[in-house]
Amino acid sequence: MSNIALGRYIPLDSVVHKLDPRMKIMAMFLLLVAVFIPAGYYGYGVLGFFIVAVLLIAKLKLNFIFSAMKPMLFMLVFLLVINILVLRTGYVLFSIFGFTVYSDAIFQTLYITFRLALMIMITTALTATTKPLDLTLAIEDLLAPLKRFGVPAHEIAMMISIALRFIPTLIEETERIMKAQASRGVDLKEGKFKEKIMAILSLIVPLFVSSFQRAEDLADAMEARGYVPSAKRTRYKQLKRTFKDYVMIAIVLLLLVGLIVMAVYK
Amino acid sequence: MPIAFEKVSYTYAPGTPFAYAALKEVDLAIEMNRITAIIGPTGSGKSTLVQHLNALLLPSSGQVLVLDRIITHTDKPKQLKSLRKNVGLVFQFPEYQLFEETVLKDIMFGPLNFGVSEENARKKALETLNVVGMDANIAEKSPLDLSGGQKRRVAIAGILAIDPKVLVLDEPTAGLDPQGSKSMMQLFMQLNKKYEKTVLIVTHNMEHVLTYCDNVVVMREGKCAVHQTVKDFFNDATLLNELHITPPHVLRFKEAMKLGGMALPEGIQDIQSLAIAIASRIKHE
Repeated sequence: MSNIALGRYIPLDSVVHKLDPRMKIMAMFLLLVAVFIPAGYYGYGVLGFFIVAVLLIAKLKLNFIFSAMKPMLFMLVFLLVINILVLRTGYVLFSIFGFTVYSDAIFQTLYITFRLALMIMITTALTATTKPLDLTLAIEDLLAPLKRFGVPAHEIAMMISIALRFIPTLIEETERIMKAQASRGVDLKEGKFKEKIMAILSLIVPLFVSSFQRAEDLADAMEARGYVPSAKRTRYKQLKRTFKDYVMIAIVLLLLVGLIVMAVYK
Repeated sequence: MPIAFEKVSYTYAPGTPFAYAALKEVDLAIEMNRITAIIGPTGSGKSTLVQHLNALLLPSSGQVLVLDRIITHTDKPKQLKSLRKNVGLVFQFPEYQLFEETVLKDIMFGPLNFGVSEENARKKALETLNVVGMDANIAEKSPLDLSGGQKRRVAIAGILAIDPKVLVLDEPTAGLDPQGSKSMMQLFMQLNKKYEKTVLIVTHNMEHVLTYCDNVVVMREGKCAVHQTVKDFFNDATLLNELHITPPHVLRFKEAMKLGGMALPEGIQDIQSLAIAIASRIKHE
């Protein structure tokens, strides 16, 4: 479980890593919007090419990202079955066991899968190249204008950064408890239904107990250091936009506009 | 030799940027029916090593022999359950694995998983509760309401109830008060002497190693640096110095006496014989 690739920061030295996190978040949103523009096969080809290029520039290994998407395979099969049963348009491809498989069922499945894969790649490009702490600083900054309307930007950022901070800890904890219970004969894969329920219980109860304990300890530690959410605070790390950031946003905007044009004149 | 490591290597997260070799071609044979201490600095591979004993981790290369079984990286989880019955592993801070409504049910959980009948599991659980020195009237309490030391004992009872031949403990006294850790160590000694269990203890406490253990294994940077009897180990001052190990109080005291002008005979490793040796010296003068 420690090789979970999804949402993990990979410390490398690349141009993408050095970009301003606020600009990267904005670029991510623009790209996610771009995924939903129906620009046809060429459009998706261009977008896919662009994202793979970004990942390569970030020096990320592509098979590392693909391994992160492996759990999607299950969804792909699920979607395929649903689509084969439901979609009855397009031309007939073949029929098995009395079921007629239409071309649209296959295409629709591939279409959705490709879009999902693109979305995962885009978010990975952000999370793998940005330190979680920078990410939350950026979120706080981006939410700052909403403070006027009573949005607690700082509190939200603090909650996100605490949550992010504890993901690895919780994964570690889960692994530890799984191993401890495996030593007591728990088998998460085999066994009857009732045994499986017990196996899951033996994992979840200790995990909850220790999480609550941790939350309490953390709250105490923060209070001991005089944490007041509304207090005015300064930052050691100042985010700075540079020329490169504007170039990056310009390229992404250009891509978005290009895709919209392709969608309109398809 | 029923427990042996043969050229065992283990790498965490192989093939990723986070790959880390925790064990490097470890060769090691553990004596049965003895208490063996496993010591070494943090990150030296102690925990990784002991997790191979009940196949929670499978060696990346090499093989582990445990009680007539050979474990290699090709083993399937399905075949490993019988091994886990014979090798009980108690993790660091085992109190976090308690989850049942009552203490009794929690101790019964292990035996039930290994196919022991409800009735026998109950009997075994009450018996083990007694072995770990707990009162039978806490059996119906919630394990979460107990004190830290009590929780620890209940968690260890949960493993003992499975009745393993080999008991492996990862820092069992961490976070306990001196009295608590002393009685905990005495419990392991009793398990070894009275119930003939092979005990392996990962520890940082040299006093415990000296007082309770027979053999000692020193892990260093993923390798087994030293494996010998505790007696020989603590007699070798140059080796201890080289490994940056602070000797137990008795030996440090003896060393200080020597510097102060009273050289005492070699081989003294406990307070009683030390006192007798000093007393006899003083009488002579």
